[in-house]
Amino acid sequence: MTQTDILSSEQEDLRLLRESARTLFERAGGSDRARQLRDAGSGFDPEMVRELAEAGVFGVAVPEDQGGLGMGLAAGGVIAEEVGRVIAPEPVVLTIGLSLGLLRRLCPDHPKMAQLIGGEISLAVAWQERGPDGAPADATCRYADGKLTGGKAWVVGAIGSHGFLVVAEQDDGPVLVLAEADAQGLVIDKRTQADGSSLGELSFSGTPAVELARGGAVPTALAEAVADATALAAAELVGLSERAFEITLDYIKTREQFDKPIGSFQVIQHRAVELNVMCEVAQAGVREALAQMDSETDPKVRAPIASRAKARAVTAAKRITRDAIQLHGAVGYTDEFDIGLYLNRALVLSAWLGDDAYHRRIWFEAREAEGAAQ
Amino acid sequence: MTDWNAISDVEFRKEVRQFFEAEYPEELRHLPHRPKFAEIEHWHRKLHAKGWVAPAWPAEFGGMGLNAAKLLIFYEEQQRWGVNRGRDMGVQMVGPLIIKFGTQEQKDYWLPRILSCEDIWCQGYSEPGAGSDLANLRTRAEIDGDDFVINGQKIWTTMAHDATHIFMLVRTDPDAPKKQQGISFLLAPMNQPGVDVRTITTLSGETEFCEVFFDNARTPRENLVGELNKGWTMAKALLSFERIFIGSPSLAQNALGQLESFARGRGAFDDPVFRDRFAQAALDVEDHAALYARFADQLKRGETLGADVSMLKIWVTECFQRITELMIEAAGPDGGSIGPLQVGNVSVDVLSSFYKARPTTIYGGSNEIQRNILSKAVLGLPG
Repeated sequence: MTQTDILSSEQEDLRLLRESARTLFERAGGSDRARQLRDAGSGFDPEMVRELAEAGVFGVAVPEDQGGLGMGLAAGGVIAEEVGRVIAPEPVVLTIGLSLGLLRRLCPDHPKMAQLIGGEISLAVAWQERGPDGAPADATCRYADGKLTGGKAWVVGAIGSHGFLVVAEQDDGPVLVLAEADAQGLVIDKRTQADGSSLGELSFSGTPAVELARGGAVPTALAEAVADATALAAAELVGLSERAFEITLDYIKTREQFDKPIGSFQVIQHRAVELNVMCEVAQAGVREALAQMDSETDPKVRAPIASRAKARAVTAAKRITRDAIQLHGAVGYTDEFDIGLYLNRALVLSAWLGDDAYHRRIWFEAREAEGAAQ
Repeated sequence: MTDWNAISDVEFRKEVRQFFEAEYPEELRHLPHRPKFAEIEHWHRKLHAKGWVAPAWPAEFGGMGLNAAKLLIFYEEQQRWGVNRGRDMGVQMVGPLIIKFGTQEQKDYWLPRILSCEDIWCQGYSEPGAGSDLANLRTRAEIDGDDFVINGQKIWTTMAHDATHIFMLVRTDPDAPKKQQGISFLLAPMNQPGVDVRTITTLSGETEFCEVFFDNARTPRENLVGELNKGWTMAKALLSFERIFIGSPSLAQNALGQLESFARGRGAFDDPVFRDRFAQAALDVEDHAALYARFADQLKRGETLGADVSMLKIWVTECFQRITELMIEAAGPDGGSIGPLQVGNVSVDVLSSFYKARPTTIYGGSNEIQRNILSKAVLGLPG
């Protein structure tokens, strides 16, 4: 096979993956399902998690010799885009990027790997901490004698998860431990986010936990997993933006004022084109970034690529979902119309793992450092 | 004759690069203005001897016969080394037109003269009342014996004062039911009493644009290309490759490189606001390049590009403008001064970049027209 053939067969695999993920989500009820789950206050649907697992979703970026499909982040991105299109609340990016991202780098033989890939469980990752001023701060959460003490903040998927992968400090350095969701001395303070999902603030007081890995490998693997999840969250925002734009385009074609569809007015048309262009640029940029991350092994190079992806995706999603509300007019401000669900989900995904301003800064600092090194 | 398409992309790029680096005159690299032919004649002779004047033309007409993938590589290398496109209206526009729609006599006569630059062409499309609404053009051509007699005015005719011939859209049937009908494609000599050229001084003080007045100017009837009254369709057919070319990342990439060294030298990166705006612009350029690559891949697979390719031009030209505006900001009190500024070991002409960026959102179909096209042809919006 020539290089072009290999390339196009990879493209073909991704196309098939996209098709099957889209069918699965559509059959399950599309974005209506997101509304129902939000209204029921039930977080996500464990049955859906199992169905996704059967389709191979969670193991998509896990190497084949570790029980995954070995298709890389590019394939993870395809799935994340489809998740974004129907604003599915299941912890897909969390699992592919963070939970499995950590485990496959630190303890690939652990039985939790297979359970995560099989959709039997989901695990949240608790790695950030809140300082006295409320902003992110250095880690102080301690692990000693098999017990955790301290707190963790901004834990996505805290409600509904079977346990927590906690990054903590012990006397001789960092450690990754596993605490069960119902562990003694674990208190979860739930904060509701714009899309109805929960963000957990955990506090541990002598909470029993099992050590999974220790030493310098822990922060390295964490940084890698965070980069993966960041890029996948960008892909999710791309899918979300695309669908929000389609919904808006349909709306301006059908909504009539002054006896004409509002989409016949040039000012509306030009705004729609703006959003379309922004969406296409974001899609191209983010997909390229994911492919680059697959062909790069140096974490110092991969991290800024993830930042580039997230910066672009957040910029696009913010603009598209907000303008989408404007183009819907007053009904866009109601909960009844789906477009609001997309705005709310975009708010949550933008804040998670750093917004556009944050990632531009990170990206530019890395670019400067690289320039100085040359 | 070499079959360039038979060699690998990598090999081809190497060969093109080597030729430019070895042969292109140093003093002509990254020329800040459009040269008259005399200024670049020595380079053109080398290119002509090599047989590389017309990369896109089929080999049987003296071109290189490059496919889309090779063509993009050729242009990328040209831009990379700052190789001037030369007086390429003949090669880019007239040649393809004649090859596609011309008679055998027209091909035999005109094509070799285009390659040798014996004839130097300018493009007569826009008129005072026909800019974005090009089909509104009024310059008349009427048959009189063996000639067409031309009356009217063209404007924004690039380098008409240094051209021997003009290819033009003229109205040959003023009574046609639609204004797009009744337009023909005509070739005419410039050196005759009925043609008067006046240069237009631009904002930047340059004179590359002209007005061309026709007062009973004449051209032989055999200089009609294609069918009478079918010029509009032909002109549109010529635009397909140009539409990706006009959206290529190079202008913005070059400007960004300039901005970076200039800003670095001036200490502008100490300002967090400037840093963020620079980062935005740099990411805009990088992500545009990703979208450009997507369209280029389409071409490489042999697919034709859709109307959506217009988005490249919108994005890159507006980005180019923002970059040149940042350059003025970084210049601070020098932001209003004409001419090169020396900063460290780089020399940057702040205002020349700024001026160069302004018409990019106007020419080649203004960005507003591009948005109209996208909204109708791609988004399917009504009206």
